Amino acid sequence: MLDTLVFVTVLLPFLVAAVLLVLREQNLRKVILVATAGVLILSSLAMLRGGAFIMSPAPLWGSLVTLGDFLILAVVLLVGLKRKNQIIVWLTVAQIVGLIWFDFFMVKDHGATPAFFADDLSLVMVLVVSIVGSLIAVYGIGYMKEHEEHLHLTTSKQPQFFFFIVLFLGAMNGLVLANNMLWMYFFWECTTLCSFMLIGHDDTEIARKNAERALWMNVLGGTAFLFGVMLLYKVTGTLSLQEILARGPEFAVAGGAILVPMFLLVFAGMTKAAQAPFQSWLTGAMVAPTPVSALLHSSTMVKAGVYIIVRLAPIYAGTYFSNFVALFGAFVFLATACLAAGQSNGKKILAYSTISNLALIIACAGINTPAAITAAILLILFHAISKALMFLCVGAIEQKIGSRDIEDMRGLFARMPRTALVAVIGILTMTLPPFGMLMAKWMAIESAHGQFLLMIMLALGSGVTVLFWCRWAGLMLATPFAKAAPEAQDGTIRGPLYLLAGLAVVLSFFSPLVYNGLVAPVVAMYYKTAPYVLRYGNFESATGVFLVYPLFILLGLGFFFALRQTRKITAAQAVGPYMCGEQTSVDGKPGFLGPLGQNVTAVSGNYYLEQFFGEAMLSKWINVIALAVLVIMLFGGAL
Amino acid sequence: MLGNLINQGRIKSPWVVHFDCGSCNGCDIEVLACLTPLYDIERFGILNIGNPKHADVLLVTGTVNQRNKHVLKNIYDQMPTPKAVIAIGACGCSGGVFREAYNVVGGVDKVIPVDVYVPGCPARPEAIIDGVVAALEKVKKLLGMTA
Amino acid sequence: MTKILLAVLALVAAPILGALITGVDRRITAWLQSRYGPPILQPLYDVLKLLGKQPMLVNTWQALCAYVYLVGAALSVVLLFTGSDLLLIFFVLTVGAVFLVMGALASPSPYSQIGGQRELLQMLAYEPLLILVFASIAMVTGSFKVSSVFELSRPMLYDLPLMFIVLGYALTIKLRKSPFDISASAHAHQELVRGVYTEYSGPYLAMIEIAHWYEVILVLGICALFWSTSFVGMIVLVALTYLAEILVDNVTARLTWRVMLKSAVGMGLVLTVVNMLWLYAQ
Ligand code: SF4
Repeated sequence: MLDTLVFVTVLLPFLVAAVLLVLREQNLRKVILVATAGVLILSSLAMLRGGAFIMSPAPLWGSLVTLGDFLILAVVLLVGLKRKNQIIVWLTVAQIVGLIWFDFFMVKDHGATPAFFADDLSLVMVLVVSIVGSLIAVYGIGYMKEHEEHLHLTTSKQPQFFFFIVLFLGAMNGLVLANNMLWMYFFWECTTLCSFMLIGHDDTEIARKNAERALWMNVLGGTAFLFGVMLLYKVTGTLSLQEILARGPEFAVAGGAILVPMFLLVFAGMTKAAQAPFQSWLTGAMVAPTPVSALLHSSTMVKAGVYIIVRLAPIYAGTYFSNFVALFGAFVFLATACLAAGQSNGKKILAYSTISNLALIIACAGINTPAAITAAILLILFHAISKALMFLCVGAIEQKIGSRDIEDMRGLFARMPRTALVAVIGILTMTLPPFGMLMAKWMAIESAHGQFLLMIMLALGSGVTVLFWCRWAGLMLATPFAKAAPEAQDGTIRGPLYLLAGLAVVLSFFSPLVYNGLVAPVVAMYYKTAPYVLRYGNFESATGVFLVYPLFILLGLGFFFALRQTRKITAAQAVGPYMCGEQTSVDGKPGFLGPLGQNVTAVSGNYYLEQFFGEAMLSKWINVIALAVLVIMLFGGAL
Repeated sequence: MLGNLINQGRIKSPWVVHFDCGSCNGCDIEVLACLTPLYDIERFGILNIGNPKHADVLLVTGTVNQRNKHVLKNIYDQMPTPKAVIAIGACGCSGGVFREAYNVVGGVDKVIPVDVYVPGCPARPEAIIDGVVAALEKVKKLLGMTA
Repeated sequence: MTKILLAVLALVAAPILGALITGVDRRITAWLQSRYGPPILQPLYDVLKLLGKQPMLVNTWQALCAYVYLVGAALSVVLLFTGSDLLLIFFVLTVGAVFLVMGALASPSPYSQIGGQRELLQMLAYEPLLILVFASIAMVTGSFKVSSVFELSRPMLYDLPLMFIVLGYALTIKLRKSPFDISASAHAHQELVRGVYTEYSGPYLAMIEIAHWYEVILVLGICALFWSTSFVGMIVLVALTYLAEILVDNVTARLTWRVMLKSAVGMGLVLTVVNMLWLYAQ
């Protein structure tokens, strides 16, 4: 049973991907994709029921993985040579040499290490990848159809597109389930390659450029990962993640030797999670079709980065290095939130907010208390859902109105009521209690309690976060009174939107169950203490209390009552907006009656606070500071 | 009970919005004089609000002309009921000295229903305050409250 | 059981108290301007009148937002009175504030749009300050729970004098008092019509006014925490603070949002850091 489940979640996507690559039949592709999504979701749920496990497949697979490693490196090397990118070439060469040395000369007991292991953290990740990722893949069906019609392609590039999308899901599942660090390295490189291919999918000048940037940054991370694994092996004498975790405290006590490989692995995680100074690859990645951005930002790729950091957290708990990780995370959280506040491009806002949230997760891993790790895991879960939802909304909106600028989304509710509503729900689940994201943020801030520098940055950061989300939600609602007709939309687009929105709300409602069932066991396993006591579903600890159900019930009742009251409002009570008594309206757009009776359309825009949050100026400083913190982290914390 | 309280509130809190229709500014200055410490209309709960949507009483100074009559109408329409209109000064009441001008429509009552007329050129602040009080008396009668 | 009683008490008493405080505020302000001023109950009359007016809306979102703003504000006061978590109270307060802004932005009128944007900037200025104040309270008590403040043996003001000033900053912004009455003024000062309130009218404006009373009680309640050891001390501290607010309101002119943002964040950070160093040194 277990074999089948691992097979389905990891290998099946690879096989399906191969089928999709040669398949040119539209409808069949649709059926296969939806079926795969269903199978993935079910098997991830079944896996969750099964609980923790260890598994070693036949040795043949080990050799295949080694072969795959070299295959991927060769492809990357070729790309580097073709694009004449020195960084990619040399880093890849270093990796090839390192890997040969490591594989054939250093590691003796190849077959001895079990390839897969899972605890609740891995299972949560599998859930996120399989459910959110699959929904995005389904959304891709409808999206890509329109996308290609829009581009007037003669031959569809969809086979290639879905090949990499589905491959990506398999690789991610493999990554989070891997026990053998070499296997993890293989899947790690898989995701790098997939993201490169997907970012460059549209094959425009800018897509190629951004894909290349993503590649070199991630190859840098990959190199750090490989050498981190090598050093780790030297220090601990094993490749088994589970063993390293189990013996973690003992290594940490033994002194700093373990911290150098830890630094390298955490650094690799940071490049993958697009933390400053590497944030540009993720913001550049938005040139790709929206499903790709959604996938990169929510369930795959960047989550692999934070997964490794959170995964290894127990090993470096209580060290200076950990403090620096927290400091780095908090800084990037604040800095990228500011960058997001200065943007009007919807996808860019989402990109920076992703980086900001990932940084918060990293900060939690750095704070490294049971409560903080709980916050990190819940953030991974809830962020994946809400962020995927937001990206899919922006994608659907962009296809309809031809712009991703939030200024153009003014009054969107009048044109796309359903999508606008879903987007507003997405924003609310991102920013307000009692939803899961906010609960996790509450945990994060309370666990930073006592570390004042961290606290200051988290406080400023969360203030800025509210700013850019709130105005986005508000301006979509600026509509006249009349009820708009619901927009037409493909089922494969609408389905995932509704499912994700429902998931974001329902899962928040059951957050005590999620905590009890999924998070508390992992935390207890590695930290020996439970961070929260649940009484009537309320999170309680020595430092504070979060009332889940009272809030849900009271706010819910208030909201419900408000909705009922607003239902009663009739069109007779509607008036135009206040415009000094000079209001007119042309095509539903409000304006002033100007001189000679002409209509002057009223135009308003958000404050983007260029002087504080200007991207060009701010990015420079952020990169310098982030780099400095990284260097200090290496020399002050790890060595 | 609540209805009674609300009526109490209606009498005790008339918020006014002042609209300068086409005044020579003489009456405007007198309206603003009511806000000064000497007259202090806030004593009666009267506030000068800049927004018809929040106001209960519309004070109009000056004549209505062809150019601004739709503005007057719009502002009146954007005030939620119950509401009252007070025309101030000779111009507001009837068009005053500008009555015969080619583009003048006339007094405020040519466009919207007026409840109280405050004469004068310009109207004195006392007269304006008295006008608001007279409007309140009218409201009282309308609400069936005896003073 | 006592908690439920407290909650009900907070729900009922807070707006009445808030109204009275606002009434006294208007009276004192009038006195400072050598006027006679309205009756103390004036704010109640205003709201009663507004409740009786005809509902008038640009779209239904505004009504929804007004209701949720009220619910959020009331809930945060209830949480404070039942001794809940400070950070949680803050987040619930944000719910209300966010919906107020969303309602303002939901109207295409430029006045309410700018009001909404400015309200966001005000939130940007006071939210970090409040979190910092709460964090430093937690430093002293060891917990974010309000109830743990009452277990202290001496008033917090001794340990966190500078944080009280930071709170005062946030208070001025939250009470919509000059020099920070940027998005809308508590008094009938006219600036961009009525800023963030422009498009709310009649009963919806009344709801927002009531929500504002709740918020007044909430911030004053947080002030009171700084002298948690005696009831009289609380009252005196709150009264003095509020008087200082009124004085500041009357002697300062409105500043621009840039100055507000820079000074609030700058001052807040410096004072926090100094206060924390002092706390460590002790
Ligand atoms: S009534 Fe007299 S003072 Fe008033 S607007 Fe007319 S001309 Fe001016």
